[in-house]
Amino acid sequence: MTDADLTVGEPMEEAHPRLGGTALRRLARKRLAMVCLVAIVVIYLAGLLAPWVTPYGYNEQDLDNTFAGPSLSHPLGTDRLGRDMLSRVIWASQTTVIISAAAIFTGGLVLGVGLGLLAGYVGGWLDNVIMRVADAFFALPDILLLLLITATIRPRVEDLFDRFESWPVAGGLVEAGAPDYFLVFGALALFGWVGIARLIRSQVLSLRESDYVLAARASGASVGRILARHLLPNVGNIIIVSVTFSLGAMAGTEILLSWLGIGITYPHPSFGAMIAAGSDLSSLRAHPHLLLVPAAVVALLLFAFNLLGDALNDVLSPRRG
Amino acid sequence: MRNLVLVLGGLVIAVAVVVGVVAALVGGGGDGEESSQGTPAAQITGTPSAAAGGELRLLGRDPLTLDPACASDVDSANYIVEVFGGLVTIDRDLQIVPDIAERWDISDDGTVYTFYLRRGVLFHKGDRQVTASDVKYSMERALDPDTQSTVGEVYLGDIVGAEEFVDGEAEEVTGIEVVDNYTLNITIDAPQVSFLAKLTYPTAFVVDRNQVEGSTCFSGTNWQRKPNATGPFKLAEWDLGQRIVLEPNSRYHLGAPLLGRLVYTLGGGSAITMYENDELDVTGVGLNDIERVRDPAEPLNAEFHEAPRMDIWYIGFSVQTPPFDDLKVRQAFAHAIDKDKLIEVVLLDAVVEADGILPPSIPGFNEDLQGLEFDPEKARQLLAESSYGGPEGLPDIEIASSGRGASVGPVSEAILAMWEENLGIEISTRQAETATFFHDVHEGKYQMFEMGWVADYPDPENFLTIQFHSDSTTNYSQYANADVDRLLEEADAEADEATRLSLYQQAEQIIVNDVPWIPLFHDEFNVLIKPYVKDYTLPPFVIPRMRYVYIEE
Amino acid sequence: MQGILPFVVRRLIWAPFVLLAVSLVTFALGRFGPGDPVEILQGQYHDPERVEAIRHEQGLDDPFFAQYGRYMWDVFHGDLGTSFTYLGVPVKDIIFDKMWVTIQYNLVALIIIFAIGIPAGIWAALRQGTWQDPLTIGGFLFFRSVPVLVTIPVLQFIFALKLGWLPSSGWVEKDILGMKIGIFDKRIIMPILALSLPGIAGVARLMRAQTLEVLDEDFVRTARAKGLREIVVITRHVARNALLPMTTIVGFALVGLLGGSLFVEALFGIPGIGQFTWEAVGNRDYDVIMAVTLITATAFIVANLVTDIAYGFIDPRVRLGAGGPRY
Repeated sequence: MTDADLTVGEPMEEAHPRLGGTALRRLARKRLAMVCLVAIVVIYLAGLLAPWVTPYGYNEQDLDNTFAGPSLSHPLGTDRLGRDMLSRVIWASQTTVIISAAAIFTGGLVLGVGLGLLAGYVGGWLDNVIMRVADAFFALPDILLLLLITATIRPRVEDLFDRFESWPVAGGLVEAGAPDYFLVFGALALFGWVGIARLIRSQVLSLRESDYVLAARASGASVGRILARHLLPNVGNIIIVSVTFSLGAMAGTEILLSWLGIGITYPHPSFGAMIAAGSDLSSLRAHPHLLLVPAAVVALLLFAFNLLGDALNDVLSPRRG
Repeated sequence: MRNLVLVLGGLVIAVAVVVGVVAALVGGGGDGEESSQGTPAAQITGTPSAAAGGELRLLGRDPLTLDPACASDVDSANYIVEVFGGLVTIDRDLQIVPDIAERWDISDDGTVYTFYLRRGVLFHKGDRQVTASDVKYSMERALDPDTQSTVGEVYLGDIVGAEEFVDGEAEEVTGIEVVDNYTLNITIDAPQVSFLAKLTYPTAFVVDRNQVEGSTCFSGTNWQRKPNATGPFKLAEWDLGQRIVLEPNSRYHLGAPLLGRLVYTLGGGSAITMYENDELDVTGVGLNDIERVRDPAEPLNAEFHEAPRMDIWYIGFSVQTPPFDDLKVRQAFAHAIDKDKLIEVVLLDAVVEADGILPPSIPGFNEDLQGLEFDPEKARQLLAESSYGGPEGLPDIEIASSGRGASVGPVSEAILAMWEENLGIEISTRQAETATFFHDVHEGKYQMFEMGWVADYPDPENFLTIQFHSDSTTNYSQYANADVDRLLEEADAEADEATRLSLYQQAEQIIVNDVPWIPLFHDEFNVLIKPYVKDYTLPPFVIPRMRYVYIEE
Repeated sequence: MQGILPFVVRRLIWAPFVLLAVSLVTFALGRFGPGDPVEILQGQYHDPERVEAIRHEQGLDDPFFAQYGRYMWDVFHGDLGTSFTYLGVPVKDIIFDKMWVTIQYNLVALIIIFAIGIPAGIWAALRQGTWQDPLTIGGFLFFRSVPVLVTIPVLQFIFALKLGWLPSSGWVEKDILGMKIGIFDKRIIMPILALSLPGIAGVARLMRAQTLEVLDEDFVRTARAKGLREIVVITRHVARNALLPMTTIVGFALVGLLGGSLFVEALFGIPGIGQFTWEAVGNRDYDVIMAVTLITATAFIVANLVTDIAYGFIDPRVRLGAGGPRY
């Protein structure tokens, strides 16, 4: 995962003021950042509202109208089965929304932030254990393992879930592809926490010696209280910036995973599946819109996330930004 | 024993399913594999010029092995048939012809084959002649359990004493008898028309005992980088993942090859682009290029060749598993697929619609066979009449396919949409990797699966008996019909060709009516060949064919 | 820099345990699933007896820990097992060749990323406040935003099909001083482009931040006050100091590149370790999967350690390990 790794690999600039009113106002003054924010919100909203805003169903085929160019009824044309590209792109955004949210909250935030705070503040053997476990996960070639998991565990997980298909609520989830999501996010979460945990730990290590933490400790505050009241708010900036970058990285990762067959499969459209279907050189030559339409949307999304992350980084760091 | 010859065909599927999804169906750049087969009808003929030489550049894939005893896949067989040889071989008209054996006699009861070896057949290196004991050694090595071949018994198991030898109860295969240096008797356990054909497979090829001694399929494989054998070509270079170079064996006893060099590029890439950039001499054409290439105004059109393949792609039902234990449900599913539309729109007429099981290029193909036509009305009615009473009564249904990638492919997606539209049934998909897929198909785990079958030899038995006899281990549908069993058994043993084929046709019609499969289509070769490449054949299965090819100046 | 030795020793003691955990997880994952290499060898043809016999000969039916123990024992004795992808070929005969292929062009891509990213970062920092700064960084961020699976076919379309300047794919090696080198062939231009374009943004951005920090330092003001020419100030004082922290991200950048190699290799037909690993997973080539995991894991651990040590040298504010007070 090029994107994810590179993001994690870039140490954030240090010493951040809290994201208070000033910072927000400064962000609002950055026109480009606002444009990015709007683009992201539009794409995500479209995804969330997909069932209501799409002109066609994502799998509505019309074999009499395949590979059609842009027209009034199909503004972005149709694919090789006559499905409306616009509708599919919107549904693909929904997949991205779900994936990003789930992956960030399970892996990146909960595990990463929690373990990073613990390791940094408590230190000692706990720090050692957490960081060595992190090393182990970091050392695992993540793509290789994801491939393996898909090849070996996925069929069995699917079997397991098939049993619940007749259950009232769970059944619907299973049919909606929950086992796939479950497995892919589970795996991503396992690998995703290490980067953020390391960042937060190093930040906490320097904060720990700061005057106000020392003062709090001297006044007998509990570890939990110090973590929650003093450290967590102070590493908030890091969290905001890295979440922004990670959201972009996740959308990028989905594309790679789908191409490898790890992602979300038929009939749910995803940017990865759409790009994979059109990314063959001969396909690009004969039917360029199959690749370029989803590619443009996803590139716009990733670009917006990257620019926004950059702007946030500027705003949240003390320097003249 | 039903250990019939399907491994070659079997792995074609393994390959074709993976590549097929990407290349053939979705229409990827096409693959070298696609270009490497065809029928005799598709020879690009000419008269060889006197001067031999020239280089033929193809796209290839790494073989799994170059040990003939172990090869079970098409990639390996492609190279092995060019480098190695056995008693008999298949020529470009698909006839069994002499190779190391000059001629042979078959006893009146059809069980004893006497081979008279050609004198002066030399290995690539040195001056050692091939003798009858080399042949016996090579066959016994393939059967030897220590060699750990997955396929030895498949091809050679009909020989008397083979089973005892495999089980370790005998020191040698008694049915292979060296009479003298140039005479060999092979006795089989029952008369069988296709036995000679089995000897044209790599398993029966001759290896150099001094070179291979002590090696198995899984160890001591170093010799495969420079195999010493008797085939038309010598392996000059095998750089894993990069390229394979074959050079002609000037002493080849059936006539030295005309090519100066044969270079396979192994890395992959967009074959048709490489062809157009003049880096390859032959390429397959995928769906994304086929319309362009078919256009008469396009210069490439003159280099475009089509040829039928001997295969079938189908949807299989597990006929013991609900809801497909009900004939009416299976019929309903079959009647709900608009094959005409599927083939015209999704497959761009690059394949031939299948009504029955047998491909048109095989003897016994029945033009009058009654398939299950597209009729959504009838389909709905059948479903309503079934024991499930209609779409609401059906349990959840899942269709399995093999492959890796982002999608199950447009063919499957179109079919699923047709079922949804015409029957009102939503079916989920499961895509499994090759290993998982084979395992689970063998276990009968899937209600419904997509698969293909490629001929090992041009005989209806290779399709019908192997897939539909209730005793066959490859009867993945668990289909059992006593009438079909009886007809197939009669046909397999019938000596008269016309009667035999008519028996197969009767069986085929019953099978089609019982719908253990929904036959979809037969593949075709869609290939571009440079105009200066002459006599390049596109056979429907692997045969040695490169020695005929030449490059016109 | 006292205290670094115990730190290194402590990490080295941990390393084998990390590796052991990694190997156990991978080994278990491989064996967990339905199907195995022997079944793939048989394909559609099905002879359960034969499969069982070969499984037995290959030791695939032994208890899990017996198999694992045997494998690890062999690894300690320098035997990485044999491949099922290239049937019977020792893994060590293949894997290092494949890795060498991947490392070659990855190193070139890495050099390009830094060679472009560093000057671009300094440039952007110096132009801070003008439109050139956001344009430079934004431009590279754009390349980072386009998925590599889109970049590659588009590059191929432009350079191989439309312009006809470059072959669309392939890998050709030349013998140079007894080594097989493939990076002096024009075929490698597109793969390197596809691989390095997305990476530049990260380096440029970090370099910009570092430069901005250094520009604020007293010694830069002093140098400027002394009337040194701007170019001298930038190269002698600013760049040198801002560059030092960059060394710490080299390892991470390389790791990121290696992840992307799979796609580059598959689409450009490069016989490197990425593509090979992908095939190996499909073929359930157990020993290859294990070897790749163990070797990359070792490399990651070493790179990680080196990075941490580098941090320690460069920025003494970062504490090594957990040297702080305990509670």
